[in-house]
Amino acid sequence: MGNKQTIFTQEQLDAYQDCTFFTRKEILRLFHRYRDLAPQLVPLDYSGKPAVTLPYELIGSMPELKDNPFRQRIAAVFSEHGDGNMTLGDFLDMFSVLSEMAPRDLKAYYAFKIYDFNNDDYICKSDLEKTVNKLTRNELTPEEVSLVCEKVIYEADVDNDGKLSLADFQHMILRAPDFLSTFHIRI
Amino acid sequence: FFFLYGFDSEEDLVGSLASISTNERIKAIQKMPETMRKKREIRNKVLKEITKKSRHRGPPCTQCLQGAAVFRRFGNTLSEYFHQLLWHKTLKIIGAEFGTSVLSYFVFLKWMLNLNIFSFLINFSFITIPQFLAAEPSNLSFTGLELFTGAGYFQQTVLYYGFYTNATISKVENGPSYNMQLAYIFTVGIYFVICFLILLFSMAKFFSRNFRHVNPQTFSVNASKLFCTWDFNITNEKAVKLQQKNLHTQIKEDLTEVNKEVLNFSVMERVVRIAIHLLAWVASVGTAVAACTGVYYLSINNLELFMKGYRNDLESQTAMLVLPVVVSLLNTLIPFFFSWLGHLEKFQTPGQHIYVTITRNIILKISIVGILCYYWLSIVATSELQCWETLVGQDIYRLVLVDFIFCLLGSFFGEFLRRIIGTTVCMSLGLPEFDIGRNVLDLIYAQTLTWIGILFSPLLPGIQMIAFFIVFFVKKVSLMRNCQPPCKVWRTAQMMTSFIFLLFCPSFLGVLSVIGVTVWRLKPSQECGPFRGLSSMYAAVAEWIQILESYTASKWVVWIYHNLISSELFFFIISGFVLTVTYIYWEIIQGRKTMAELLRKQINS
Repeated sequence: MGNKQTIFTQEQLDAYQDCTFFTRKEILRLFHRYRDLAPQLVPLDYSGKPAVTLPYELIGSMPELKDNPFRQRIAAVFSEHGDGNMTLGDFLDMFSVLSEMAPRDLKAYYAFKIYDFNNDDYICKSDLEKTVNKLTRNELTPEEVSLVCEKVIYEADVDNDGKLSLADFQHMILRAPDFLSTFHIRI
Repeated sequence: FFFLYGFDSEEDLVGSLASISTNERIKAIQKMPETMRKKREIRNKVLKEITKKSRHRGPPCTQCLQGAAVFRRFGNTLSEYFHQLLWHKTLKIIGAEFGTSVLSYFVFLKWMLNLNIFSFLINFSFITIPQFLAAEPSNLSFTGLELFTGAGYFQQTVLYYGFYTNATISKVENGPSYNMQLAYIFTVGIYFVICFLILLFSMAKFFSRNFRHVNPQTFSVNASKLFCTWDFNITNEKAVKLQQKNLHTQIKEDLTEVNKEVLNFSVMERVVRIAIHLLAWVASVGTAVAACTGVYYLSINNLELFMKGYRNDLESQTAMLVLPVVVSLLNTLIPFFFSWLGHLEKFQTPGQHIYVTITRNIILKISIVGILCYYWLSIVATSELQCWETLVGQDIYRLVLVDFIFCLLGSFFGEFLRRIIGTTVCMSLGLPEFDIGRNVLDLIYAQTLTWIGILFSPLLPGIQMIAFFIVFFVKKVSLMRNCQPPCKVWRTAQMMTSFIFLLFCPSFLGVLSVIGVTVWRLKPSQECGPFRGLSSMYAAVAEWIQILESYTASKWVVWIYHNLISSELFFFIISGFVLTVTYIYWEIIQGRKTMAELLRKQINS
């Protein structure tokens, strides 16, 4: 309340507070986390709207993400061009959706995009197979993986087209009470 | 993304956003599944639209807009202070290595710590601080043993009910006076009402967030296992590998259907199973009853010894500690017996085993607290003690303290020694897991004792606050050094809801009935405390209302008292109203379920 900071203009801070679920203090703290990834690339004065993008390698090396099997997909989904290179806005957006204040529908939308490896707006069998392998460190046999994927499609595919659309996914998430607490990264 | 909002174009979206209130608009923008750049663009457009509209409408109410913005920022700052960075970092480390289920215990502990800080502040400011102004110095000496027994020197301090005066305190002649009797009863009463509301709202909040009606026909076990059980909170490399291994094991088990026992039991086998379950339940309830009887006779014995000759020496003071130690021992050892019983009975799913064990533990703890309350309210209160409330306060103080010590010891033996044994002597045991159920029940038990004790010992929440603080850090250190992450993640989302529900339902409601009986039915002691000489504690309020009747300015207070608080009709009306509202909500939920089913059928066809 009234702490003078010289990184953002008041208008920028208000915009970030209105567009994410973070408070002013959290936004400044996240900015410093972003900057700590590459102090020489990120200026301390954002009022001139610098166009700074950090490459995926730096984002993926954050302690919150470096051991997550889906870190590449997470960074790709939240980056502007889908390549994992993130601006500060993308960075704030990513952690805002993954915070505990984000509502279920928003998280489900982004979770769907994360699990959709080939970006065709459907989670098809190959996407599921990649998910299962990432979740079990490739230790299941291909037959077992295939069996699991078939079961999942059988259970969750409501419109019976052999793959999961966003509606199927959201319908399934509605019935899983754990989703809100597990799809959450604390920063 | 526009299809999600049902808008044909961006202009429609901007237009509709510009016409709703500021709070709604901010929420709508936050919820938009768009990149940050797009959200900021839309926000700018909406703000331009608003300024355009307000220019048409006339001089804008800049005051309101600014006021709303300042209010929101203030609310944000306030929530930041409650969610202090100290807890945030600690909780993050715990969540990162052990996952959300273990984290929920620590979140619950933090919540209870905040509740106790709030209780302590209320009691301290309204009851204790005025008492300091009218205090008489104590003439007893202080020996170190008092910290454990709570008796001796502490008897004549603000720690206990007996010390508080029944006078009207006023420092300045003819100045503002402070009626201690009314202050005591109103503070305790309003505090319990606030607690009730806090618990109700927390339960509703967690329930609405996490309760999903799980229709067994449509519940997708495998899909939710795949998409919803991976805990993104876990960021420690070893823990991630462990989680992957556990998921791998679970999937393999599901595929080979190991857990699904063939449920074709013959009649004989079914009868045998039911007989074993029945026997186990009889054994558990019998143990609980036996424990209660033991505690009851021990307490009566204690009281007799106390009344025969109260000497202030070491031996009799230590003898007072026997009861709390016995109670804590029973509370610690009998649960092991219950879980051994649970292993003997072969449950069909591990979830059933956990539920049954927790239910038995709850029954044990409720019976022990119940028998103690019965002893305090029927035996102690009607005995010819000089100051029975102080004795009850001391009993509760000792119970709380010994329970705290046993909690620390339990951590030491249950986790530290078990780790040593599991890694050096008996390799097959391995590292222990953090037992969430047992620890949560311990917390709820401690909080129940604190709530009961508030009336008799106003500073008890302060002591419990310090105890919880120490327990938090001891448990955290013990967890990080000695335990391994849990193998089976069990219903994480409903955990916080069920903890608060358990806190509300047997614990808080039970405390309310005990306090109710104390305030309305019991006769306070004649020579000590703020209600000395009255026929009941509630009589203080009745007398005050009688005094108020003579002032015309406060007729409305008297009217409220006679027609609302002490009239049965009003409570009937309120209960009827609450039941009607509950029924209406229930019907709405049922209606939504039916609609969801219909929609599903529509999609399918």
